[in-house]
Amino acid sequence: MILETRNLTKIYRVGKEEIPALRGVNFTLEAGDFVVINGPSGSGKTTFLNLIACIDKPTSGEVYIDGQPTSQLSEGQLAELRKRKIGLVFQTFNLIPVLSAYENVEYPLILLGVSRKERYQRTMALLEEVGLKDLANRRPDELSGGQRQRVAIARALVTNPKLVLADEPTANLDSETGKQVMSIMRRLNEEHHVAFLVVTHDPMVTQYAQRTVKIRDGQLFDGGRTNGA
Amino acid sequence: MELKLLIPLRNLSRNRRRTLLSLAIIALGTAMIYAVRGYVDESLLNYRASTVQQFGNLQIASPLLWAEKTENFQYLIAPEKVAQIVKILQETPEVTAYTVQLTLSGLAITERKTKVVSATALEPQNQALDYNDLVVEGSGLNPNDRAKALIGRTLAEELQLKPGDFFTMTTTTVDGAYNVGPLQVAGIYTLNNAIAEGQLIFLPLSYGQVLLDTAGVAKVIVTINNIDDTERVATLVQRKLAEAGLDFEVRTWEQLAEFYRQIKSFFDILFGFLTIAVSVLVFFIVLQVLTLSFLERTREVGTIRAIGTKRYQVFLMFFMESVFLGALGSLIGIIGGWIVGQGFNTLGIGWTPPGALEPIPVRVRLELLNAIAPFIISTVATVLSALYPALHSARLNVVEALASK
Ligand SMILES: Nc1ncnc2c1ncn2[C@@H]1O[C@H](COP(=O)(O)OP(=O)(O)OP(=O)(O)O)[C@@H](O)[C@H]1O
Ligand SMILES: [Mg+2]
Repeated sequence: MILETRNLTKIYRVGKEEIPALRGVNFTLEAGDFVVINGPSGSGKTTFLNLIACIDKPTSGEVYIDGQPTSQLSEGQLAELRKRKIGLVFQTFNLIPVLSAYENVEYPLILLGVSRKERYQRTMALLEEVGLKDLANRRPDELSGGQRQRVAIARALVTNPKLVLADEPTANLDSETGKQVMSIMRRLNEEHHVAFLVVTHDPMVTQYAQRTVKIRDGQLFDGGRTNGA
Repeated sequence: MELKLLIPLRNLSRNRRRTLLSLAIIALGTAMIYAVRGYVDESLLNYRASTVQQFGNLQIASPLLWAEKTENFQYLIAPEKVAQIVKILQETPEVTAYTVQLTLSGLAITERKTKVVSATALEPQNQALDYNDLVVEGSGLNPNDRAKALIGRTLAEELQLKPGDFFTMTTTTVDGAYNVGPLQVAGIYTLNNAIAEGQLIFLPLSYGQVLLDTAGVAKVIVTINNIDDTERVATLVQRKLAEAGLDFEVRTWEQLAEFYRQIKSFFDILFGFLTIAVSVLVFFIVLQVLTLSFLERTREVGTIRAIGTKRYQVFLMFFMESVFLGALGSLIGIIGGWIVGQGFNTLGIGWTPPGALEPIPVRVRLELLNAIAPFIISTVATVLSALYPALHSARLNVVEALASK
């Protein structure tokens, strides 16, 4: 089991008002899974993903990454865990604008202290896998949205994480490009045997899922397994 | 390595206009401190040189003279005491030359006008001080001259005297008697100082002694081979005088030159104030710019934190950016300051300080050693201004940072 959440709740407090964003979520993800969590706006998708990504703390409950409970970890240990075990893909791509595509993908390897030579090999290999080898030297603003998201996917995978989390990865793309991006993710999921958890309100994305889970009002409803597309 | 170098450098180039603005402010501040320091240094060196030219390095006189208890002329040094002092000076290898002087005051009288003057009676063409250098009209004083005088430009105008003209000087002798002596103007000197030129005249020592009716002198003036040795030699000579049982006191040029001290402390205060003002200005302007620039990258910070960058690494990226910004700006400032200074030095632009009669060329001493302090000051001001925004960015909440904008 690469990921498990137990009775995860998150309550936002705005002034005196309490907004329950997650209400006791139990969820598991096996190594190599490709799961899509699908739900409407405000249902708690981003909240859930942030907790799993260990960038936010639950109100109660526990997140286990690769069997390790995370609630007692320090800020530094969490950063360490994020950079070694988790890859992130964002709705708005979130590339570093001053770095080239190559450097963006290379960045997490620098954090890991990987040698320059190995960084080169791994970075180029991933850029090739997402079909951007020839655009390696371009800055993000010289790339299309789809290309940027492919760079972001390469960045998320370059460290060989156990788990890639994607929050609305297609929301800023047209539907054709969105499909391309999804099929790249699906392919990498199979080739690298890395688990993907994608949250989205876009039903198209569920076509690519092995398993779809519905989320509404901070609660999960298992949508059952499919073989994906 | 890449985190500390590549990203900060790239970030500097991301908003060119803003970076250029910061660089300009930092460079301007640095150039100002550097050039003003150079001007102050050069001016002080000039004042020092002209002060030493006027006072010698050391002066030996009775404590009474230094205490300005001059009414009874008891401060005068008798010839046999002068000989003893001279012996000590001759045995001191650092001493290059010496001469004696007498000072007197009285009235300079012509047919039309009378003016209070003070006279320095000196040994014409002595080895220590050469006043004849200052003569702009007529000739200097010669060893054989008796009743001749050098007068300042201003006095010459007021009394309408030309070289060759005569005037009368009245004084009181050491015994309190009234004394009158004729004097011929040998030459007219300039000190580029209105007060001095208006009341100070020079005459031969022998004639001064006649006017005062004494064989004594007021002080012995000493020059030494290295101005930076002044304090040491002063102490040495003072000790030798004490050992010989002579009750005289050595003063250094710096102790005597009140004007020099005033100028120096004025310059020091001015420069200190300028340095503080410039640093504070650089600090606040760069603070504004960097705060804005760092805040714009909030989501980027959220992103790199989310993928595992530690807080201290985020801080370091911003910190290094400010180090590069400060160092680059300061470097440009040093180069700019150097060019401006060279410009002044080559063009010889002059200004007339208060009390001076002629413009003095503005000269800037551009020693590179003087560039170190302004470089460090501006860089430190820049880096300090980055500290708070950088800390703020490093401490951002990741989720909120990711959600921004
Ligand atoms: N920082 C916050 N403070 C207060 N309430 C919040 C905060 N973040 C989210 N919420 C609330 O929690 C609930 C879940 O929000 P979340 O962003 O997780 O939903 P989402 O499914 O990602 O929606 P979307 O599709 O719009 O991105 C919503 O009601 C939202 O208003
Ligand atoms: Mg969301």
